[in-house]
Amino acid sequence: MAREFRLPDIGEGLTEAEIVTWLVAEGDHVESDQPIVEVETDKAVVEIPSPYAGVVLQHGGAEGEVLAVGAVLVVIGEEGEATAEDLLVDHAAPIVGTLSEEAEVIETPSEIVVETSAKVKALPIVRKMAREAGLDIETITGTGPDGRITREDVEAATETVSSPSSPAPAGEVPRSQAEAEGVRAETRTQMSRLRRTIAANMSKSWAEIPHVTTFDDVDATRLLEVRAALSDRHDIKIPLEALVVRGVLPALSAFPEFNATLDGDDLVLHGSHDIGIAVDTPEGLMVAVVIDADSRNVIELADEVRRLGEGARERTLGLSELTGQTFTVSNIGAVGGGHGTPIVPYGTTAILSVGRAQARPIVYDGDLAIAPVMPLSISYDHRVIDGGTGRRFMELVMENLEEPALFLAG
Amino acid sequence: MNTRKPGLGRGLEALIPSAPQKTIDNVPRQSDHDLNPGVYGLVNPDGSVRDRLPITLDEMKGLYADMVEARTYDTKSIAMQRQGRLATYAPFQGQEAAQIGAAAALSDGDWVAGTYRDAALNWRAGYPWRLLILGRTGDERGGEVPEGVNVLPPSITVGGHMIHAVGLAWAEELQESGRIALTSFGDGATSEGDFHEAMNFAAVYETPTVFLCQNNGYAISYPTSEQTRSATIAGKADAYGMPGIRVDGNDVVGVLVAVREAAERARRGEGPSLIEAVTYRIGPHTTSDDPTRYRDDDEAEMWRDRDPLERVRLLLEKAGGWDQEWQDAIEQSASDVIEAAVEWAESVPAPTREEMLSRMSASGGASG
Amino acid sequence: MAEVNLALALTGAMDTALRSDDRVVLLGEDIGRAGGVFRITDGLLAKYGASRVFDTPVAESGIVGAAFGMAIAGLRPVAELQFMGFSYPAYDQVINHVARIRNRSNHRFTAPLVIRMPYGGGIGAAEHHSESTEAIYTHIPALKVVVPSTPRDARGLLLAAIEDPDPVIFLEPIRLYRAVKEDIPEIYYTTEIGPIRVERQGDDLTLIAWGSMMKETREAATRLEDLGVSVEVIDVRTLSPLDRDGIATSVEKTGRAVVVHEAPLTGGLGGEIAASIQERCLYSLVAPVQRVTGWDTVFPLKRSEAHYLPSVDQIITAANKTLEG
Repeated sequence: MAREFRLPDIGEGLTEAEIVTWLVAEGDHVESDQPIVEVETDKAVVEIPSPYAGVVLQHGGAEGEVLAVGAVLVVIGEEGEATAEDLLVDHAAPIVGTLSEEAEVIETPSEIVVETSAKVKALPIVRKMAREAGLDIETITGTGPDGRITREDVEAATETVSSPSSPAPAGEVPRSQAEAEGVRAETRTQMSRLRRTIAANMSKSWAEIPHVTTFDDVDATRLLEVRAALSDRHDIKIPLEALVVRGVLPALSAFPEFNATLDGDDLVLHGSHDIGIAVDTPEGLMVAVVIDADSRNVIELADEVRRLGEGARERTLGLSELTGQTFTVSNIGAVGGGHGTPIVPYGTTAILSVGRAQARPIVYDGDLAIAPVMPLSISYDHRVIDGGTGRRFMELVMENLEEPALFLAG
Repeated sequence: MNTRKPGLGRGLEALIPSAPQKTIDNVPRQSDHDLNPGVYGLVNPDGSVRDRLPITLDEMKGLYADMVEARTYDTKSIAMQRQGRLATYAPFQGQEAAQIGAAAALSDGDWVAGTYRDAALNWRAGYPWRLLILGRTGDERGGEVPEGVNVLPPSITVGGHMIHAVGLAWAEELQESGRIALTSFGDGATSEGDFHEAMNFAAVYETPTVFLCQNNGYAISYPTSEQTRSATIAGKADAYGMPGIRVDGNDVVGVLVAVREAAERARRGEGPSLIEAVTYRIGPHTTSDDPTRYRDDDEAEMWRDRDPLERVRLLLEKAGGWDQEWQDAIEQSASDVIEAAVEWAESVPAPTREEMLSRMSASGGASG
Repeated sequence: MAEVNLALALTGAMDTALRSDDRVVLLGEDIGRAGGVFRITDGLLAKYGASRVFDTPVAESGIVGAAFGMAIAGLRPVAELQFMGFSYPAYDQVINHVARIRNRSNHRFTAPLVIRMPYGGGIGAAEHHSESTEAIYTHIPALKVVVPSTPRDARGLLLAAIEDPDPVIFLEPIRLYRAVKEDIPEIYYTTEIGPIRVERQGDDLTLIAWGSMMKETREAATRLEDLGVSVEVIDVRTLSPLDRDGIATSVEKTGRAVVVHEAPLTGGLGGEIAASIQERCLYSLVAPVQRVTGWDTVFPLKRSEAHYLPSVDQIITAANKTLEG
C-alpha cells in the first residue's frame, strides 16, 4: 500500500523547507528511519528520515524546490505499485506528520435573526419586559433621563394595549362598546386544578425553552403491516405508541441529548429511557410514563401503554407514573392530527408528535405510488440541540419507523 | 534535628585515590572544557583504567547495555521529530554516561528532579520509555509516572527545579524515610538565581540533596567559559559550604562512584554535594537548533573520540566481556523495546476536552 | 469561644494545624524567633520546635520552591512571604511549577501547600509594602486564591487551605489584622473554599468586596441603610475559583451591583466580576454595574495614601448611581 509522507513542521512554527539533496532515488528501497532527504529550513539544514520501509515511488519535489509544510514530500510503497501521479492526488493511506488534534467541531447557527433595535435607550430588563408584553419597544415613549424608556413607561404601554377593561385615563377612550352596552355576558370560572397545572407547565416550557420544530413524513406501510401482524399473532390490539416508543429508542441512544434535562449550566444525560406518552383525557392532557422502555418488548409495551392510558383517564395512576419522563411521544394522530408544533415538557429536551397515517401519493422507485404517510413533528430545546442534530435525529427516527425490522431486531 | 555542623568534602575526598585526582584545587579553567588530570575519573577514553574499578564485570555490561538502550531512544526520537511524530526534542547524545551513571547510583524511592535533556537519567531511575515518548508527542499523560517511581516530570524552564530537590530531600529527612533527592541541571542553569537559592537552602538545612551539573559546554550557544568567571562549576560549592567534585562526565563508572559517594554522604545526614560532570552535547540543543552557527565540527569530533559508550566497549573487550554477537543482541533488544514503546505511545487516543479540563484540580474542574 | 482579632485567629489556626497534623510545617523569613513581622506565627517555634517551624534565608523563590518540593514529598507546608510586594521573586515558582505540577503529571504529583502573604495598604508602610495584586494570582489557572475579612473566616479558611489537596494563595488584609474582633470557636473547623458569604441581606443593591475593603464596604452599607436603602453585602472571600453563581443569585434579586477593590481598576478582579454579572444577570439589571477601585497608579507612599484608597463616600456615590433613574 503506497503511503504519502508529508513535510512536517520540524522546527517549531516553520511553514516551508527547501529540498537540498535527495539521499534516495525514486525506485530505491528504504528502511524505516533511514535518512531520505536533506532539507533547509529557516533554522537549519536537517536530514529527514523515512517513517516507513519500502520503495520510493515518487519524490514530492526536485532539489532546490521549496515545499510548504503539509505538502507531500515523498511517496513510499511497494515495488511496481501504481503510478505515483495518482497517489499524489488521492488513494493514499493515512499519513504521519500531524501533531495537533482537531478541536471539537462546534455547530454554528445557519441563520441568525437580529432583533430589538438599539435606536431607543432602555435597560435590558426594560426591553425584556416589553418583549414579554408583546410590545415593540420602539413604539414606546420614554420619560426617563435622556428620553430613556423606564419600567413605568412599559407598564403604562402594556395597560393601554392589553387591558382595555381597565380604567382609562380621564378624557380618553371609553370602555369597550360591548361591555358598555352589556350586550353579551361573559362567564368566568376558575380552571380545574389539572388545567391550571397544565397551563403553568406550558407557560414555563414556552417561556424558558427556545423551541425548534422539525417536520417530516414517513411511509408507514411496513409499520402498519407489522402492527397488524403482531395484533393477529398475539390477538391483542397494539397501540401505535408501543411501536413508536420502540422505534424511537435507537435514536435516543444515538443522540442522548434528546433524553436529557438541562439543569442550570449542566446537561444531565439520563441513564434510562423513561418515555412519556401523551394521553388525551376529559380533563385535559396528561403524560403517563413508561419506565425503562428498553427493558420491554413491543408486546409488553403495548400492555403498558394500554394500562397507562386507562389509568390516566380513570385518574388511578400514582405520581411516579405521571412524572419524570425523559422523552415524550404524543400520538396526535389518534384524534386525527397531522403536523403540529408540540411543546417540550419542562425538564426534558424534546418531544415527538406522530400524526395520523393517511393514504397519499408518494414517489417510490421513480414512480408515483399510494402509501400510508405518517406525519412526524419533533420539537426540541434549541439551547441544547442544534438544527443539524435535530435533523439527524429525525432521520434516524424515520429510518426505524419505515423499517420496523431495524428496531424489532435490536 | 539539624544539629550537625556542615562538613567539607568528607566522603567525597575519600574516593580520590592519588595526587592527580584533585577535586577542587588546581582544577583546569573553564576555557579548557576538557578532561585534564585534575578531573576525577576511572575509565579513560581508550578503555584503560586509572584505578581499581569498584564494580563487577556484569554490572559494567549492564551499564553498557543501558547506555546502548538510551542512545537508541535518542536516535529514534530525533528521527520521529523529523517525521513530525514528536514535538521539539532535546537530544542527549554524548551525555549517556553522566545520566546512566548517576541514576545507577540511586536507590529505589530516591527522588530525581531533572531537565528536558535527562531522558536517560529519568528512565534509568524508573520513568518508562513509553511515558517519556508520550510526553514528547505533546501529551500531559506522559507525566504520570508510575506509583513508586519518584521522578518528577521534566522541568522545561531552566533552573527552577533545583530547589524542588531541596524541598523533596528536606521533607524526606523530616519524615526520616532515608530517601535522598538528586537534581540534574546544565551549566546554563548555574547562572540562574535559582541555583544560588537551591545551593544555599540545601547547605543551610543540610538537606540530603545531590546536585548534578552536566556541564556540556554550552547554554544553547553560549560557551561555559563565558558564562562564569569561576574556575569551575564544582568550585562554586565551596562558597556554599558543601563539597564539590569535577568528574569526567563521559566515564560512567566515574560518575557512578561520585554520585554514589554523594548519595551515601547525604543518607548519612552529612548534607548536600555538588558534582560537576564534564561532558559534551554531541547534537544540537534541540531539534530546532543549528549548532554549526556557534561551534566547530572539530570540537564535536574531539568529543566523539571520548564517546562514553565506546570506551566501555573497549574496556569490556579487553576484559573478555564483549563480542559482536552480544553487541548485536543488545542493540536488537534495545530497538525492540523502543519500538514497542513508540507503538504504545502512538496508540494512545488524544485527550478529550474534559480530560484537559480535569487536570486543574483534585475535584476535576477548571478554576474560575 | 474566645474573642480574638484576625491576626490571633490566624495564629490559632496554625497552632491547631501543627497540633493536629504532623505533616504541617511552617517556613518563612523571621517567622520563628521573631514570630513574623506581623507576629502571626508568634510562639509557634517555641511550642513546636525547629523541626516544624523554620526561619529561612531571605529568598522568596527558595521558600516557595522548597515548600513545593516538601508538599510533593508528603508534607503540608505553610510558607509565609513577608509582604505581597515581595512575592514576585517567587512568581516563577508559583506560576511555572506550583500551579502546574498536577497538570504536568496528570494528577500523579500534587502540591498541597499554602502560601500566606499580607496584602493591602492603609498602614503608611514603605514602598512595595501595600500591594494588592490579587489579580495576577487569580489569573493563573489551578491556583486557589483566598482572602478572609473576619476572624471566623480567617481560622476556617486557613485550616481549609491547609487541608486542601491543591495549592492555595492565602491573602491576609494587613489593616484588618487587628481592626476586627469576633468570638470564634476554638475547635477545629473549616470554612469551605469557594462560596461567597452574604454578610448582610438586602433587596435594593448588592455591594461586593473582599479583604481589606470590607471595612469601608460595611460602613457604606450601614450609611445607605440609614438612608433607606436595603443593601446586600457580599464578602467574596474566595477570589479563585470565583463563586459566580452566588454573586449572580444576589444580583438577580437586587438588580444592582457595585464591586469594590483596593487594587487598580484596569485588569482588576472587579472587571471579571462585572463581566460575569452581565453574562448571567443582564435582564435583571436595573442599572449598569459600578466599580469602586484604587487608581491606575502605583500604590502611593504615606502622604498620598488617603487619595488612593477607595473611601466610604466613593462607595455611596457609586451606589447612588445605580439607584437613581
